[in-house]
Amino acid sequence: METEQLPQEVPRIQAEAGVLKTTTACVAAVLIPGLGHAFLQKWDRAIVFLVSISLMFALGLRLQARLFNPEFSDLFSTLKFLAEAGSGILYWVCWLRGLGVGEPSAYTYDFANVFIYVAGLLNMLVVVDAFDIAMGRKQ
Amino acid sequence: MTSHFLLMVIFCALVSLVFTFLTKYGTRERIRYFFFLLGAYVLISVVAGWLMYPFPF
Repeated sequence: METEQLPQEVPRIQAEAGVLKTTTACVAAVLIPGLGHAFLQKWDRAIVFLVSISLMFALGLRLQARLFNPEFSDLFSTLKFLAEAGSGILYWVCWLRGLGVGEPSAYTYDFANVFIYVAGLLNMLVVVDAFDIAMGRKQ
Repeated sequence: MTSHFLLMVIFCALVSLVFTFLTKYGTRERIRYFFFLLGAYVLISVVAGWLMYPFPF
């Protein structure tokens, strides 16, 4: 048995489906790098983003980077936290497990922090890309 | 892994890969753009390093 839709309801239903798709893609992309693109069936980009950003984050941790706590006492700590938290679940799992204590005297400490910051910032760009694709602005 | 140059090249490669897939579509175009970005990042980093060499900080 087919359900009938009034002609004026069709665009509204399509718009709601578009909003749901866009929201789901963005939330997925925020949580796990590349998951938003996987939801949108952009498999090549999904795999590249997942591997690149996760590898960058893991290398940062391996090189003794520091994961900043969610504190908002001063501007630079806040910005560093926001950049790191951009990696989504990667950051929160590692932070909850107590990883990323950081060793400022380590030879690679500065490099390691840059790896972690940039992993988070790149994931923010990936979220914007997923948003654009879901909205039909990009292929 | 303590070579700063190696770490810088790995960093540039990963960033170039993400930017390439964000901005380009065809395989051939992606390969060309990836190597262009990688070369540009590495070259600019080395030049910037040499320019900063005389500074005391």
